[in-house]
Amino acid sequence: MPISFDLTPEQRELQGLASKFAREEMTPRAAECDRTGRFPEEVYRRAWELGLMNLNVPAEYGGSGLPLLDQCLITEELASACGGMTTSILANCLALQPINLGGSPEQRERFLKPFCSEYRLASFALTEPGGGSDAGALKTRAIREGDSYLLTGQKCFITNAPQASLYTVFATVDPEKKHAGITAFVVPRETPGVSLGREEDKLGQRASSTATVTLERARVPLQNRLGGEGEGFKLAMATLDSTRTPIGALAVGIARAALEHASRYALQRSSFGVPIAQHQAIATKLGTMVQELEASRLLTWLSAWMVDQGKRATLESSVAKCYASDSAMHICDEAIQIFGGYGYMRDYPVEKLLRDAKLCQIYEGANEIQRLVIAREYLRRFS
Amino acid sequence: MEAVVCIKPVPEADSRLRVAPSGATYDPEGLRYTLNSTYDEAAVEEALRLREAGAIEKVHVVSLGPARAEEGVRYALAMGADDGLLLETGPGDAFDPGATANLLAGAIQTGPHDLVLVGRRAGDDETGMVGSALGEHLGIPSFAFVTGISVEGPSGSLRLRRFTEAGEEVLSVSLPVVVSLLKGAQDPRTPTLPNILKARRKPLVHQPLSEVLARLPAPPVRSLPVRFDLPAPRTGARLVEYQNPSEAAEKLVRLLREEAKVL
Ligand SMILES: Cc1cc2nc3c(=O)[nH]c(=O)nc-3n(C[C@H](O)[C@H](O)[C@H](O)COP(=O)(O)OP(=O)(O)OC[C@H]3O[C@@H](n4cnc5c(N)ncnc54)[C@H](O)[C@@H]3O)c2cc1C
Repeated sequence: MPISFDLTPEQRELQGLASKFAREEMTPRAAECDRTGRFPEEVYRRAWELGLMNLNVPAEYGGSGLPLLDQCLITEELASACGGMTTSILANCLALQPINLGGSPEQRERFLKPFCSEYRLASFALTEPGGGSDAGALKTRAIREGDSYLLTGQKCFITNAPQASLYTVFATVDPEKKHAGITAFVVPRETPGVSLGREEDKLGQRASSTATVTLERARVPLQNRLGGEGEGFKLAMATLDSTRTPIGALAVGIARAALEHASRYALQRSSFGVPIAQHQAIATKLGTMVQELEASRLLTWLSAWMVDQGKRATLESSVAKCYASDSAMHICDEAIQIFGGYGYMRDYPVEKLLRDAKLCQIYEGANEIQRLVIAREYLRRFS
Repeated sequence: MEAVVCIKPVPEADSRLRVAPSGATYDPEGLRYTLNSTYDEAAVEEALRLREAGAIEKVHVVSLGPARAEEGVRYALAMGADDGLLLETGPGDAFDPGATANLLAGAIQTGPHDLVLVGRRAGDDETGMVGSALGEHLGIPSFAFVTGISVEGPSGSLRLRRFTEAGEEVLSVSLPVVVSLLKGAQDPRTPTLPNILKARRKPLVHQPLSEVLARLPAPPVRSLPVRFDLPAPRTGARLVEYQNPSEAAEKLVRLLREEAKVL
């Protein structure tokens, strides 16, 4: 297929739906939820009703099974209104992807369908207090007992954990085996032994909720194990390979909002008798911001396109996530600078964007790790 | 009973318009078009509600416009309309409300049209004339400023609520009829993502305008726009600085009294 950057009419419609939802439901609540940390359940429920959640669940289980590129178009629109709400909306895709990828048909039927027939949230539980980047060293234990497993350990920084009805949990059947011991389980919230820590008070993305999930001899039936023992690490990595690109799109959405605010402000604010946009120092800032934004978007589109073509996209998805989130930080930082003192004030929208963008450099694989992955993938071509 | 809803693609409400090189209209270049929102969405919504109430079997959508008007028709299909017809105009084709109604009527006449619904007016040129002109060209009654349609009274008739300066009228009208909707009984629904995907498989026919023109006994009479100017930029706004609300109120009252002299 020749390359085309023309969106199809259908893609434009999906974009239009997301942008309308963002404008009507998310924007009016963004500042309030940022201030109070409220989890706007009504927004998430409405997103579900409109089909904007569970974008990756295949049609046969009641989802829309959208190509990743379409998911990215939607994500950018949502994130331009509120990064935090977008993270909470996307969290279902992340949590359900291991089931999509590693579940048996029976498991997919049992676990995915309920998410498409009613509003429910799920969480992806990989990170532990002892470390997130080195996932191979995780400590949560899964001990086989008859035809079930007993899970014991702690998972921290888990998005939507307080509201989720189901967790996809990664635990080890044998810590000695490192990566090769890691196994994935679907753990319903009501399982005895599952408890929640307090909700985290965060720098940004405050409309999203984050908490620790503690497992205390939580009994999970064998039928809830995804794939075989020891297949969990690969499953987690394959999941993140496909959800990393939308994080790039999320960063693009935040950055776009910052650039638009900054552009409007630069045209309207005057100093020394002219709009500040006419000072070269401001114009060149904007010129750089535009380049970074455009490049970030194209990188996410490339990565999504590769995934949709069934190509291996480990390098491209890491490049997209890492570059787009670093750029978003820079663009938001410059937007505040263009706003001057007002940019530093909570009454103006840009400082929130900076705080929201920061998370994109940390979660779904910190950018330091992305760079290691990118270098490793690239160097393979020379050996 | 079948309904036809006429919809018009208009530039998005927050578009920045420029005068076209011809000087006679606005420049369509770079604008995003939507279904003539609020008005036409309300008309589609009303038709869908009648279909859901069992009063109508089918909701057809028809639009006159350039190829990109397809997006508006698709939007109506995603809301739930059954099929769409686009009377496709070419570059430079422009029609006044009378000619638009004439062309739409030419297409509508070829199929069932017990109820023809239009929005109260277009969000761009705001003429509000197509509804009545449609009635004329179809040779059926038309009613404007309608705020509600219900299925009551003898079969083959509808109950309309109409808003006038003098008060609200309730009318029983026999079909077929053209209704121009002031507003719907309910906010128009937003198409869901699955419905957007499903709408792709609904029939949407592009009909070249030449085919419609060939069916008309005479070419539509039309006026031509000669000149189009944007409103002059607004001036005179004055910003009042203040420390607290009571100071703001005090300053505003003083200005209203002493300078604007409206108090
Ligand atoms: C708001 C929020 C929501 C989250 N949601 C989820 C969720 O839903 N599910 C989930 O499982 N996790 C979630 N996370 C966790 C997130 O993925 C981890 O925070 C992230 O992977 C980093 O792990 P860590 O915090 O343990 O940092 P560490 O791994 O301790 O890393 C600390 C620092 O050292 C760097 N570093 C580590 N190793 C190396 C190395 N080899 N070379 C160079 N630098 C290195 C890191 O990049 C980082 O800068 C969330 C985090 C946050 C903040």
